[in-house]
Amino acid sequence: MKVLAAGVVPLLLVLHWKHGAGSPLSITPVNATCATRHPCHSNLMNQIKNQLAQLNSSANALFILYYTAQGEPFPNNLDKLCGPNVTNFPPFHANGTEKARLVELYRIIAYLGASLGNITRDQRSLNPGAVNLHSKLNATADSMRGLLSNVLCRLCNKYHVAHVDVAYGPDTSGKDVFQKKKLGCQLLGKYKQVISVLARAF
Amino acid sequence: MISLRLKRPSWMVDSRRMRTTSDFQWLLLMFLLMYLMSQVNSQKKRTPRDLKCVTNNLQVWDCSWRAPSGAGRAAAYEACIENGSHSCYRLEKNFKIPALLPGDHEITINPSHDFGSFISKFTLNEKNVSLIPGTPEILNLSADFSTSTLHLKWNDKGSVFPRHSNVIWEIKVLRKENMEIVKSVTHNTTLNGRDTVHHWSWTSDMPLECATHYVGIRCYIDDPLFSGRKEWSDWSPLKNISWFPDSQTKVFPQDKVVLVGSDITVCCVTQEKVLSAQIGRTNCPLIHLDGKNVAIKIRNISASESSGTNVVFSVEDNMFGTVIFAGYPPDIPQKLNCETYDLKEIICTWNPGRPTSLVGPRNTSYTLFESFSGKYVRFKRVEVSTNESYQLFFQMLPNQEIYNFTLNAHNPLGQSESTLLVNITEKVHPHIPTSIKVKDINSTAVTLSWHLPGNFAKIKLLCQIEVSKTNLARERTVTVKGVENSNYLAVVDKLNPYTLYTFRIRCCTEPFWKWSKWSNEKQYLTTEAIPSKGPDTWREWSSDGKNLIIYWKPLPVNEANGKILSYNVSCSSDEETQSLSEIPDPQHKAEIQLDKNDYIISVVAKNSVGSSPPSKIASMEIPNADLKVEQAVGMGNGILLTWNYNPNMTCDYVIKWCNSSRSEPCLMDWKKVPSNSTETVIESDQFRPGVRYNFFLYGCRNQGYQLLRSIIGYIEELAPTVAPNFTVEDTSADSILVKWEDIPVEELRGFLRGYLFYFEKGERDTFKMEGLESGRSDVKVKNITDISQKTLRIADLQGKTSYHLVLRAYTDGGMGPEKSMFVVTKENSVGLIIAILIPVAVAVIVGVVTSILCYRKREWIKETFYPDIPNPENCKALQFQKSVCEGNSALKTLEMNPCTPNNVEVLETRSAVPKIEDTEIISPVAERLEESSDAEPENHVVVSYCPPVIEEEIGNPGVDEAGGASQVVYIDVQSMYQPQAKPEEEPESDPVVGAGYKPQMHLPITSTVEDLAADDDLDKIAAYRPQANVNTWNLVSPDSPRSTDSNSEIVSFGSPCSINSRQFLIPPKDEDSPKSSGGGWSFTNFFQNKPND
Repeated sequence: MKVLAAGVVPLLLVLHWKHGAGSPLSITPVNATCATRHPCHSNLMNQIKNQLAQLNSSANALFILYYTAQGEPFPNNLDKLCGPNVTNFPPFHANGTEKARLVELYRIIAYLGASLGNITRDQRSLNPGAVNLHSKLNATADSMRGLLSNVLCRLCNKYHVAHVDVAYGPDTSGKDVFQKKKLGCQLLGKYKQVISVLARAF
Repeated sequence: MISLRLKRPSWMVDSRRMRTTSDFQWLLLMFLLMYLMSQVNSQKKRTPRDLKCVTNNLQVWDCSWRAPSGAGRAAAYEACIENGSHSCYRLEKNFKIPALLPGDHEITINPSHDFGSFISKFTLNEKNVSLIPGTPEILNLSADFSTSTLHLKWNDKGSVFPRHSNVIWEIKVLRKENMEIVKSVTHNTTLNGRDTVHHWSWTSDMPLECATHYVGIRCYIDDPLFSGRKEWSDWSPLKNISWFPDSQTKVFPQDKVVLVGSDITVCCVTQEKVLSAQIGRTNCPLIHLDGKNVAIKIRNISASESSGTNVVFSVEDNMFGTVIFAGYPPDIPQKLNCETYDLKEIICTWNPGRPTSLVGPRNTSYTLFESFSGKYVRFKRVEVSTNESYQLFFQMLPNQEIYNFTLNAHNPLGQSESTLLVNITEKVHPHIPTSIKVKDINSTAVTLSWHLPGNFAKIKLLCQIEVSKTNLARERTVTVKGVENSNYLAVVDKLNPYTLYTFRIRCCTEPFWKWSKWSNEKQYLTTEAIPSKGPDTWREWSSDGKNLIIYWKPLPVNEANGKILSYNVSCSSDEETQSLSEIPDPQHKAEIQLDKNDYIISVVAKNSVGSSPPSKIASMEIPNADLKVEQAVGMGNGILLTWNYNPNMTCDYVIKWCNSSRSEPCLMDWKKVPSNSTETVIESDQFRPGVRYNFFLYGCRNQGYQLLRSIIGYIEELAPTVAPNFTVEDTSADSILVKWEDIPVEELRGFLRGYLFYFEKGERDTFKMEGLESGRSDVKVKNITDISQKTLRIADLQGKTSYHLVLRAYTDGGMGPEKSMFVVTKENSVGLIIAILIPVAVAVIVGVVTSILCYRKREWIKETFYPDIPNPENCKALQFQKSVCEGNSALKTLEMNPCTPNNVEVLETRSAVPKIEDTEIISPVAERLEESSDAEPENHVVVSYCPPVIEEEIGNPGVDEAGGASQVVYIDVQSMYQPQAKPEEEPESDPVVGAGYKPQMHLPITSTVEDLAADDDLDKIAAYRPQANVNTWNLVSPDSPRSTDSNSEIVSFGSPCSINSRQFLIPPKDEDSPKSSGGGWSFTNFFQNKPND
């Protein structure tokens, strides 16, 4: 059971981690069947709130750790190098219904999780000695996986949404090192910005 | 020309005269000359001229000339070459001829149809021919943008040349639209008769993406056999390389790895205006390229951090950049070492040397290549951690013992290598032996087995087995033959039974290379064996002498050979053998009721395997008559006992000891020493310093023990803990007898060596117990070394004096505490009596002598000090009425005899007589009395009087109303000055209570006898009135306490003095005089009353 539970979320992520621009973000029709592999937590929204709060509390530290590890002139040119200019970033409307907000949250976390995977991979190669950065990136990615699972659980259980189309950012594997650094920094800047909005919205 | 030469001197000599004529001639000549020249030229123009020949392949000469003017374009010529075989060519303007042999060749060119032209002849030699190679053609120009390298390809067309020749190629590289030459290089090749394509590569210092690069080429054929002129070919058409940017701004080079210290150019290909550029935090000047492209030059770049060195170009609202990785090529791998743990796999380790500053995909990769087998393994870690060990595993090859390894290190900046030739069978570093098992063979031998991974079938193993028991470890080395299954056995013998051993193993191979690490420890308890010896026994008779108590010591582990379960005790005599029941182990003594016969006691220890040999001891002691107690002191941790060698003692000696304070039978422990010993050191954990022990040395012969010596001793002496109790037995005026008691042994804590007795004068309350040992001079010390002495008499003391006595005992361990006592010696009574009697006797004698002297000299004394006062009775004027004098018995003291009145006149003081104011004295006391008759007595001022100078008053009749009457004036004796009169107060003074002179005559006149009595109150406050009222006379000095007594209502004016004498009847007060002190006796009274007596 544990193996199954541990494999669901990574499987979802792996399936989602294909490079491609976001297509129209459809959701499962209401009458579609929706089943989760394991029962959802009773107080799921509270869990989601806590996870968002936890991510929000650690986002700034991760951002600082990241741009510090990239070397000069990143720390002194955050506006130009780490501005939250991220393409195809899913929108979020805080005044929407809970279902709409959860769907948008799902898309955002999926986007961020995939991007965080790219960043983690790039930084392992680029900064093999930055152990703190790696552990924080991994911890954040773990939290996002958990959050994604909980959001999906909630969507499935309450709103019978089994599938949400998501979009991802650019794949950095073919880019030069500076682009990797810059895109990672921009993504984390965006993450820091959007996670605070999400934490307030839930 | 000749005419010119003739005409020129005359023109020079007569130039002025002939100026007009000669100018004309000069013009004429010039005209003529020009005509002639045109004629010559017109003839030349009609003949071919300027024959020129060139070659570009050394095989064909290409000749050309200038055709005659006027010749038609289609004019044909015939050229004939005289080179042995006359050959003529019909041609037009130029011709190609095969290369001629060296030497001059005549060429005749004549027009074949134009008869108006002349025939031209030329001499042609190879030296006049130019070798100009054909223009090279670039076959291909390509670029590797990642390395910024241009690749040029061209054909030398060597097939057209008849022979081998050297060719020099000149290549030029131009950059940017304005064609800046950035590189010009020559490239040498050889023509070998075939067309050959040549390559040339060039790496640009600037990324090729930054600007368009152009390349051109030309050549120069250096043929040594050609004697003509050699020239460069024309430049080939330029070919260019350019990068077509997309709309995005990009920075080049990307992710470039460069050597630390090198220079590098970084450019930004953009459509936006670049504002600045910086490397890290350092700004760099911009180099403008085509369009809006810019570049920067980084010189002497330093080593990058792990994430590389960021180079960024800043535009209005964005930043673009690239990352440069500056590092070092790999160092030569150091300390390359290859060994094997198991002869299956070779592990090679090395030290990478200097860090390259390159990580991740740019990190150094290693390849271990074995040359004999041609196999290799690679080491590549993208995410290598800094502390990772560098090692590679190489699978051993069957039947190969010698390996030649080459370790190649490679990174983007270069490579290096290190080699090692090794016989791997000599480099075996075995693994840690595991799975250690112990199996016993018997109680003293075990079999040890272990597992050593590896295939050591062909070599010998040397293993060390560490066998250790408590605090003792020994290593045994065994040689075992290597086996394939990795399991090994060894026998370990000579062990002790029932002993816990710890085994561990390590192995190496022969020849030795390295020991393996020690294996884990394996503990094993060997099996039990029969106890090797009987227990050490001793016996004591009980205090009542009826029972024999047998003691024995537990067997040491190495003798018990197992767990002792019980003991068997038996006693045997000649007649019988008595055996006690088994005594379980923890009990180590037994009591047997025996008579006084001689018995042999046997003690046997038993364990699970069997019984020990018996230990025997005789019950009775051999008596020893001459035994004395000795003393001994130990060395802190033990005590050394010595004795003389006694050949009679055939078995061992026994020393037993016990605490002397314990009751009999006392036994703490005993020790047996061999019979040939003469000394032993007794040590025990039970020994304590300051405790007295009894030691008994027994000799043994025929199993019977005889007490040889009895010793009392201390392991270490300490100072006594208490002071001896002492008392004072007897005290006299000059001595004290002190007696003290013994200190108990437990508190003595050593052998008593004596007492120290201190004494000194001192009171209990004031004495301080300090400095007794500091040699104070006032402290007397007596050292009593005779410890049998218990009393001490201290003599030569002072009587009735307090003495401080201190007594303390001492041992070799130090001084004990003090005990002190204060004793007062008795008083010396004879001396006291003498001391009292002598002063009394002296005082009496002095008194008697003084009395006698005073009596004999009384007249002189009287005359001198107290002359007679004239008797007022002789004065008639002062004769009072007899009745008055006689009727008042209170006036006896100054009883007036009937006398004839003399010139004495008594003045009435009642009437105010201002004229005599200067003679009146108004006492302040009197004033106060007037004001308040009830005034407080303490305000009374004692006023004495002294007669004024009567003669002066007498000689002033005008002032004295009575004329010549004598006058007594009261003077304040204290001040010895006549007080100032106070006239303003006088009228108010009450005549009755007024102070001042109160003449005696006045008293009877102004009042009756009854009045006198009635007026006592008045008298009390009156001034001097000696004769009137003797009751008021008090023989006290003015300053006597009585006179100033606050309760006394009698106002005294002190001692009277004669009205005729200026001497005081009583001298003025002398405070130091004892006569003035209060008391009922005075010399004044004494002498004054004398006549009346």
